[in-house]
Amino acid sequence: MKIYKITLLFLVLISALSCKKILDVKSQGEVEDDLVFTSVDGLRNARIGMYGSLQNRFYYGGVYPLLAESYSDNGSTGGYDVVDLNSIKERNVAANNLYVRGVSVAIYQSIYTANKILENADKIAGVESIELKNIKGEAYFVRALAHFDLLRMFGQHWDLSSPYGISLKTKTANPTQSVARSTVQASYNQIINDLKQAAQLITTYSGSQYVSIFATKALLARVYLYTKNYPEAITNANDVISESGMFSLLGSSNFNKIYTQKNTSESVFELKFTPQNQSFYNGFTYSRSDALRSDVQFLASESLKTFFESRTDDARANLTDFTNVDVSIEPDGRTEKYRGETTLDNAGYILRLAEMYLIRAEALGLAGGGLADLNLIRENRGMSPILMSDVADNNAFAQAIADERRAELNFESSRLFDLARTQTVESVLGTGVNPIMPIPQNDIQIGKGIIKQNPGY
Amino acid sequence: MNKALQFIIYTCCILLSLPQLANAQDRILKGTVKDAKGETIAGASVIQKGTNKGSSTNIDGNFSITLSGQNPELVISSIGYATKTVKIGSVTSINIVLQESSSMLNDVVVVGYGTQKKSSITGAISSINNKDFKDQPVSNLAQSIQGKVAGILVSTPSGTPGAGLSVSVRGASNPLYVVDGIPMISESNSSLATSYTVDGTVNGKGQNISSIADINPDDIESMEILKDASAAAIYGARAANGVVLITTKRGLNGKTEFSFDSYTGIQNVSRKIPFLDSKGFIELQEDARAQDLRRYNQDPLVFGEGFDPTILTNPLPASWRTGVNTNWLNEIFRSAPISNFQISARGGNEKTKFFISANHFDQQGIVIENDFKRSSFRFNLENKVSDRVTIGTNSSFTYGRSRRSFNDNTYTGVVTNAIGASPLMPVYNPDGSYSEYGDFQASWLSDNPVKSAKEIKAFTNNYRFLGSVFAEVAVVKDLKFRSSFSTDYSSVLDDQFFSPITSDAVAVSGKALKGNYNSLTWLNENILTFQKTFNEVHSLNLLGGFTAQASKTERSSVLAQGFPIGSGLTNLSSASTIVNAPSISIPYGLVSFLGRANYAYADKYLLSVSARYDGSSRFAVDKRWGLFPAMSAGWVISKENFLKDSETLTQLKLRFSYGLSGDQEIGDFQYLPYYIPSRYDGIPGLQPRNIGNRNLTWQRNKMLNAGLDFELYNGKLSGSIEAFKGNRTRLLNEAPAVTSSGVYTQTTNSGNIENSGIEFSLGATPVKTNNFTWGSNFNISYIRSKIISLDSDNQLLSPYSDLFNTHILKVGEQVGSFYGYKYLGVDTQTGDPLYSTEKQVLGKAAPDYFGGWTNNFKYKAWDLAVSTQFSIGNKVYNLIRATYQTLGWSDGGWDENNELQQVYANNATIVNKRWRNPGDVTDIPRASMINANYSQESSQFIEDASFLRIRTVNFGYTIRPQSKKSFSSLRLYVEAQNLYTFTKYYGFDPEVSSTGGGSPNTAGIDYAAYPQARTFLFGVNFKF
Repeated sequence: MKIYKITLLFLVLISALSCKKILDVKSQGEVEDDLVFTSVDGLRNARIGMYGSLQNRFYYGGVYPLLAESYSDNGSTGGYDVVDLNSIKERNVAANNLYVRGVSVAIYQSIYTANKILENADKIAGVESIELKNIKGEAYFVRALAHFDLLRMFGQHWDLSSPYGISLKTKTANPTQSVARSTVQASYNQIINDLKQAAQLITTYSGSQYVSIFATKALLARVYLYTKNYPEAITNANDVISESGMFSLLGSSNFNKIYTQKNTSESVFELKFTPQNQSFYNGFTYSRSDALRSDVQFLASESLKTFFESRTDDARANLTDFTNVDVSIEPDGRTEKYRGETTLDNAGYILRLAEMYLIRAEALGLAGGGLADLNLIRENRGMSPILMSDVADNNAFAQAIADERRAELNFESSRLFDLARTQTVESVLGTGVNPIMPIPQNDIQIGKGIIKQNPGY
Repeated sequence: MNKALQFIIYTCCILLSLPQLANAQDRILKGTVKDAKGETIAGASVIQKGTNKGSSTNIDGNFSITLSGQNPELVISSIGYATKTVKIGSVTSINIVLQESSSMLNDVVVVGYGTQKKSSITGAISSINNKDFKDQPVSNLAQSIQGKVAGILVSTPSGTPGAGLSVSVRGASNPLYVVDGIPMISESNSSLATSYTVDGTVNGKGQNISSIADINPDDIESMEILKDASAAAIYGARAANGVVLITTKRGLNGKTEFSFDSYTGIQNVSRKIPFLDSKGFIELQEDARAQDLRRYNQDPLVFGEGFDPTILTNPLPASWRTGVNTNWLNEIFRSAPISNFQISARGGNEKTKFFISANHFDQQGIVIENDFKRSSFRFNLENKVSDRVTIGTNSSFTYGRSRRSFNDNTYTGVVTNAIGASPLMPVYNPDGSYSEYGDFQASWLSDNPVKSAKEIKAFTNNYRFLGSVFAEVAVVKDLKFRSSFSTDYSSVLDDQFFSPITSDAVAVSGKALKGNYNSLTWLNENILTFQKTFNEVHSLNLLGGFTAQASKTERSSVLAQGFPIGSGLTNLSSASTIVNAPSISIPYGLVSFLGRANYAYADKYLLSVSARYDGSSRFAVDKRWGLFPAMSAGWVISKENFLKDSETLTQLKLRFSYGLSGDQEIGDFQYLPYYIPSRYDGIPGLQPRNIGNRNLTWQRNKMLNAGLDFELYNGKLSGSIEAFKGNRTRLLNEAPAVTSSGVYTQTTNSGNIENSGIEFSLGATPVKTNNFTWGSNFNISYIRSKIISLDSDNQLLSPYSDLFNTHILKVGEQVGSFYGYKYLGVDTQTGDPLYSTEKQVLGKAAPDYFGGWTNNFKYKAWDLAVSTQFSIGNKVYNLIRATYQTLGWSDGGWDENNELQQVYANNATIVNKRWRNPGDVTDIPRASMINANYSQESSQFIEDASFLRIRTVNFGYTIRPQSKKSFSSLRLYVEAQNLYTFTKYYGFDPEVSSTGGGSPNTAGIDYAAYPQARTFLFGVNFKF
């Protein structure tokens, strides 16, 4: 029986020795969460990753701005008769729409990434305080941007008294726990507080592809405009515009550089893509010169064509293509803002200088001299100025602003939100059109009553 | 691990060097075993009763055995014959005659880590032997059990050469495959996604290349399917979906027998969807416009403000009157040859036995420019080093190469484009170039399908080595130790090139993808077996063991674009840009302890208890160990006194079992949150991949099984009935997460699915005379899976990332239920389609009943086998039909002159049944150019896909010469595969699953999957 015992002994030995080694394997090619924030380098890596998260296909990689655009009167959808795409152009989006859910997930992913940095940055030893402050500031900015983008798409952002704000996430613990929606006012408070924090922390400027103090102020200006806090909107817009050394408007002859070059002087915050790190804009909106409607998912609408036909001198009309395309796309067309079929590195235009002028114009109002800013943009886009005498009243001025924003910012995620905040969805898009998207059906299911669906869905 | 290896080697050395025990009373007995007709029986087992001494007969039926002790008795058994016990006096040679028997009770069945006689099995194990399928060639081993085993649903999701079959064991998909003791990686490992959306994003896995196809079916001796938890629990953590044990052929004692098996044949698509020709296409469009005009004249307002009715009356453009009439299915389908050559040799002597084989299989696809080739080699060797020590190896090497069909199963593929393409479009222009798909009717197209097939070249090469070496030592009498080392090495190389003239790559001037997958698994198993019968009635079999497995998988790919046009270069270094080069390396380990005790009292009362203790690297330290116990009991009623002498009921056995098995198939490193590489502005960084779940642990699969086996008239009629109820709890699943988590899903243990069912199988030999035999096997199963609880109810699912939700997971419903609007038929007055206002559950992909019926006839030297398969109650969501039943709809297709330019797609002839005039009763709505008179999101395209299929008909003639000097046998045969299918399903094939069948949650989708072929073969089996 001796051999029996020896055998057993060996078996036990083998198992004791090998078990641990075999089972305690480490993933290669990725890093454990706990090990990311252990050094300055780790913090820097997470910062880059935060920008990477903004590049998500469903966020500023393409879908977020284009979905909002195709739901508005600027756009339409193509594709292979895809139900969830069709319902966007028909402005009858179901709560289980795959694109809507994708957008919500992607935006919250950016928030999670920013929260991770905010929770861990202070724990890391040996970071120079300027760098630490900057990184934290960038994270506050990203969190604010993301919350604001959610609020614009899923919340009743035009009504500060509405209970239909968004689920605010400021911690990464218990990520799968449903969070009740805050009121619109509370949502704005969170966004503005984060931006104020960012404004205090960020001191360096490393180009418009990174979050800067100017980007923070530009976003503040936009947020204040949405809340109709015009004085603050003006102050912040002023701060960006007055940095003339940093940013300047391009003229009518060369403004299309915005779309053919990277990070031009008009960009305050522009998400940069490279041929090795491509965005989806071109594939979604242009694809090929001979593409069919089925090849292009997000189209420019016939309404945008009609709009530009009434603006004969507008150089921006050339950024739409309604004729030189395959007839199957007609009567719709394509935007030309995202060309570059080989490199596919079209930028995500998040904040631009032109928008600052338009914000200031709107905030100043007709009486406050807003027309000057409006005309500055017009002149730089090949158009003649509007004379005081051409503008009958405040309503006419508001229409001029709306038109200018449409001409300047189409296919840069502005139109739908502008219509909603100026309460013109019904008159422009038709009765019964919901100004916002439904909360994804899964959230309602999982939340079991915690998360309320938007009215009308 | 290295240290562990050393220890094992030392252990083996020590065991091997033990002095041999000699017995003075040993003597040698020689003999011959023949059947009643005087034919020698090869491979019969000859064992001295009460000892572990055994031998087997060689090719000529001869054996030699060393006997010991007084009054020895020999037990002689062979598959297909009644076992015989013979008392040996003092003779030194003996002739033994075995009587043929239809009884399968003595068949030896492979169970996990051992073998058992069929009569003593207490779990639910189905076995299929080489003799049942050897005469009917298959290209994938799973086809051998298709329709032949109760409880096992084998379906063919795609006709792609080399594609995997979907195997579901009692309603659970993807069983564990164990080849000669090596648990084998069975998923598709190609990194080549063949499904892209129009913007180039991967949106589905597309066709898979199953790595089970690496096993040459001609090398297989037997397959056993462990169906219930008690049988499977010995494989613990991986057994939740059942286990398929595959045993390859072994050597035989005797003169070396060569065998040459070959077949060659021709394949054709088994069913073509009939499409409209040019005339029908134009006629449909004219009807659509006429119908719209009639509606316009009744009420112009329904067409909206500013609608210009001239597009309903303008003459069709000149491009409609070219006289071109292309049948696109004929352009992409072809008659394709298939052939297989196998040469093998098996033989050996007392000490050494071997089986070697070489095989070459070549299957051209029935879609143009698509094929699959496989070459494989096998070497199985066993050597008796001494009376107590046996060493050996089972190894195989396989090389496979396939040229893949582009975008099988999604909306930009060769088949999909051919389905929608207009008959007005020629394949080529007069100058020989490909016609431009955008210039003709049908905006559905993404490219000229013939161009896609020819100009997108995708190859997958794979190299697979599966092998093990083992040593078996009789440590002391009745106690055996077996140690083995096995390895499963797999290398898959993908090479895809999109020519710059294809629409997928014209913008980037050509693109290429090279993928590389490497996986190496080491497995060490050490098993002690003790077998002894006490007092002739208490038979005890004990097994204990330890196994350790470690694997490492490396996956990388490079995507490049911008190739010099006209140069013909496709190598990566000629690309202008490397777009992406992801790579990942994943280690994985599993350590297990296992034990089993089988006890039988007088072969009448049977009891089996087993347990496995598994530790897996896929879970956190405190969650990684799982214990999987099982027990089963059997009562052989026919051995009781009151039935013992019955000549009618020769066997009756009642069995019960209960067991627990597990599942850990969640992929590696899901329990911790991880950051993955990211980049921005040319700088590398890290961004979160997942949120982790430290509580992740085994999925549990409990199953209760009751079975009754019977045999009448010594096996003339035999069968079994099984009833089972299983609960899969703590389901490892991707539970949808609230979007504020920033992830779509989180891997969780949640939910409970109940699988229950009844299986019935019957085997009979209704006629058996000297010249004529008729054997018949029938099986039918009823299996239902019901969702008991879910992490969150009413989960909507989509098989494609950008389409819409087609399925629902809902408590109380089956897994794989369809969801959408109910189609209420056609309004007889207006011809408009009617739908329900609310979405609802619209049926399920799984069948209510399925099974098969096989008949074998033998008349003298002729033989005929007919096997059929059926499935009742399964539905298919025929998504692609929403393309070919669009009824003239034009997706915004008129130009500035109000001339019709593009309609959406060509239609199948089923639209000829459409509504035309008020009062028409039909379920196909009226044609319309303006309105889409169909809805993808409705039951309009959910079809009953019940079917009865004549799977194989094989007719052969065997020549057996009197003198075996020249050769021993020659069989010639013809075979028809997939001869005919009775079904109401309108698509290519009712068995389709465009998602590959791997994910039961979104099963039953037809997005123009590669159709199945009907094959006619001529073959030869030659033994010499």
